[in-house]
Amino acid sequence: MSDMRSEYSKTLIQIGKENPNVVVLGADTTDSLKTSGFGKEFPNRFFNVGIAEGNLVSVSAGLAASGKISFASTYAIFLPGRAVDQIRNGIAYPSPPGKKGLNVKLVSSHGGLSVGPDGGSHQQIEDIAIMRAIPNFRVFIPADTFAVSKLVRLMANEYGPFYMRMARSKTPIVHSENTEFQTGKGITLRDGSDCTIAACGITVRMALEAAETLQQEGISCRVLDIFSVKPIDGDLLEKAARETGCIVTAEEHNIFGGMGSAVTESVAERYPVPIHRIGAQDMFGESAREDEVSLLLEKHGITSFNMVKQVKEIRGKKL
Amino acid sequence: MGLNYYHIKKNILRARKLVIKSTSIAGSGHPGGSFSMAEILGCIFYKYLKFDPKNPTWEDRDRLVLSKGHAAPGLFSNMAVAGYFPESELETLRKFGSKLQGHPDLKCPGVEFCGGSLGTGLSYSIGVALAAKIDNKDHHVYTIIGDGESDEGQIWEASMTASKYKLDNLTVFLDRNFIQQDSYTEKVMPLDEVLNGDNISEMWKDASRWKTGDKWRSFGWNVIEIDGHRIEQIDSAISKALATKGLPTIIISRTIKGKSVEHMEDNPAWHGKAPDKDVVPLINLELDSQFMIAPSIIAGDMTNLENEVKRCVNGRADYIHLDVMDGQFVPAKTFDHTKIKELRPLTVIPFDSHLMIDEPVKHVRNYVEAGSDIITVHTEVCDESSFGEIHDLLKQNQVGVGLAINPDTNLPEWSYKFLPTLDQLIVMSVVPGKSGQKYIPETHDKMKQLGPILKNHNFRGYIEADGGVNLENIGSCFEDGARAFVGGSAIIGQSDVRQTIRDFRDQVLKARRKVLIEQAHQLGGPDLVNKWIGLHVVGEKKDQITKIAKEENLI
Repeated sequence: MSDMRSEYSKTLIQIGKENPNVVVLGADTTDSLKTSGFGKEFPNRFFNVGIAEGNLVSVSAGLAASGKISFASTYAIFLPGRAVDQIRNGIAYPSPPGKKGLNVKLVSSHGGLSVGPDGGSHQQIEDIAIMRAIPNFRVFIPADTFAVSKLVRLMANEYGPFYMRMARSKTPIVHSENTEFQTGKGITLRDGSDCTIAACGITVRMALEAAETLQQEGISCRVLDIFSVKPIDGDLLEKAARETGCIVTAEEHNIFGGMGSAVTESVAERYPVPIHRIGAQDMFGESAREDEVSLLLEKHGITSFNMVKQVKEIRGKKL
Repeated sequence: MGLNYYHIKKNILRARKLVIKSTSIAGSGHPGGSFSMAEILGCIFYKYLKFDPKNPTWEDRDRLVLSKGHAAPGLFSNMAVAGYFPESELETLRKFGSKLQGHPDLKCPGVEFCGGSLGTGLSYSIGVALAAKIDNKDHHVYTIIGDGESDEGQIWEASMTASKYKLDNLTVFLDRNFIQQDSYTEKVMPLDEVLNGDNISEMWKDASRWKTGDKWRSFGWNVIEIDGHRIEQIDSAISKALATKGLPTIIISRTIKGKSVEHMEDNPAWHGKAPDKDVVPLINLELDSQFMIAPSIIAGDMTNLENEVKRCVNGRADYIHLDVMDGQFVPAKTFDHTKIKELRPLTVIPFDSHLMIDEPVKHVRNYVEAGSDIITVHTEVCDESSFGEIHDLLKQNQVGVGLAINPDTNLPEWSYKFLPTLDQLIVMSVVPGKSGQKYIPETHDKMKQLGPILKNHNFRGYIEADGGVNLENIGSCFEDGARAFVGGSAIIGQSDVRQTIRDFRDQVLKARRKVLIEQAHQLGGPDLVNKWIGLHVVGEKKDQITKIAKEENLI
């Protein structure tokens, strides 16, 4: 198990050393997000604007407009969930000639239901939908710390607005040092021919477990990490649709507007096959202690067990 | 350095006309808020802002952030005047495919901030200012926020942040025009105090009710409060802001929404509405008819000119007219540059130094150094060469250039080449030399003869009527074409200078209203006169204009 926020902090410090234009901003969650480490290393490039998320986003935009690469971070619920106007009109919309949007990277933690004890008010299950709908934004959901570190580097090197959502809790490793991450490219973690599970974030590990279970029952299941929800890898999804004939998506997000929706839209246009979406079924989350998070996820069907069930069901609907 | 008063003022006028033209063609837009900040933008653009229209991304440029983005026509118009793009491009405002969007947009090179969603521009400016600090750059960030915009909580988040980071490279203007979309700010969401009743001028009059400055001070800002339509006050405030270290500055500028067009002034209806095309020529004529009142302090107590200056300040004079007489060019002797230098620290109101002295070319530098903002010399003691020298010296020092002619003098032909860049022409209506003389009626004919000459030679300055101007004749002087009025004993000789200046203004306004409805009649008959009258809905303006129209048989 590894901690995404620690990895985020470590990578920021590394790229901060390499690139003097990297600045980091927080909104009174800098200890929690561990960005305060960057502040200790580079005090004049680190800004804590207090509990003022709109301000956080707009100040980041101003820095970016002046040539800085802004990384602004707080909890997901307070970033897209709260400051959507500042994000939309302040980062995505302003486009210097020849460019799209300003060079701001919004990196949130505490995405989805796995936030746990803080309860439904803090469990952001709408951020992918919000961020996906905003032109010029690219949306990443890393599954582990390898993904975090590589995607932070990728965002620092690639101009323009990005949103990356991390999980609060420690996550198991699913990738390796050698995994390549590219904007708009999904990753095939396991090949299979009978069905595909498209996952992102914490559900990637569950999907791998489900595929293993299915294998024992003689069902060959492909597993895709759709970490790049926008742009989405239409080629990879079309291939999966053609070769496996059905798709189950899984995410800790509302089924409306999230990764599942993005996959459905893409597949429906290119090679329609039956799709089942696992996620919050248009319901809010609730408090669950550390050792109960799995119960909360189970309530919403976000388990490898449910993935197995959905795969079995959907295979019967194949065209 | 002088104030560069006329240069700023002329560009503000050009920009205002472009706002009218562009919003009228677009059929929508926000002239009201563009006009309330017109002088603020003018002063920033034409005196302080470091920029290069040919290289809009120049790294060391100052940044101008228009947080109250709906006033985009004001920003775009000034950018055109400043040379970012041709003025004709303003005709594409709000049009499909134009870089001149409804709100400021980075699509237009030179625009620093995409405005539109209120309350975010100050935070953005903080980012820009922080970046300058990181990079050890000394460029400055100027940000304009609105008072309606100050309802947004993020303004106050930003206020705390700028204070925390001691952003002395950030100067904010609050365009305090007291009007937001629905109504008066003090009705919708009071920044100062709740307004009972409809008379917004009540708020203006009573400084004890202003709380906005206290709010910003308590947030850790350097607060300067000014009249946001007075160039000299804006200028002085910016120079103080630039000299302030260790904290950000906010210049709370009390302004009038729609300023300079009577029917738009203080009228919430003009927050976001464009003028109809048929009234545009009338509005332009009105804009061309701005005027200044300049009391001449020698008409007061010569032994205590300091006090006379104070009376002018309290009286809200536009200029202070300083008659310098040397006892040679004119028989009388008043004071010289040393006195002006002594008086200078008493006020920022422009000093209009009228040199009635022999060989002005020998002395003019002293008057520049004494702190004059406008210097006028007499044609009778200049020739092409010496005036050329004076002209260039004054322009170099950002001092207004004036030329004066005595009642029995005609404008000499050598002066024609200077007319396009001349800022002020004083047409003396008394023989200079002493105070308290009567206006020479022949001056009216002289003004009529001067009109075509000035027009043919592209004179764009102000004609100043000087000598015997009083409440009875000021209206006819205005109709003659005068736009600055020196008042000697008729102002300074009165006990209540403030009321007298107000009366002077009212007389000019009355004359101006008459000129405007006459023009309306000429352009569109009684229908246009009635339409023009109908636009004037705030205060008693409508009744007064109707009265004039009836007297003149125009409706």
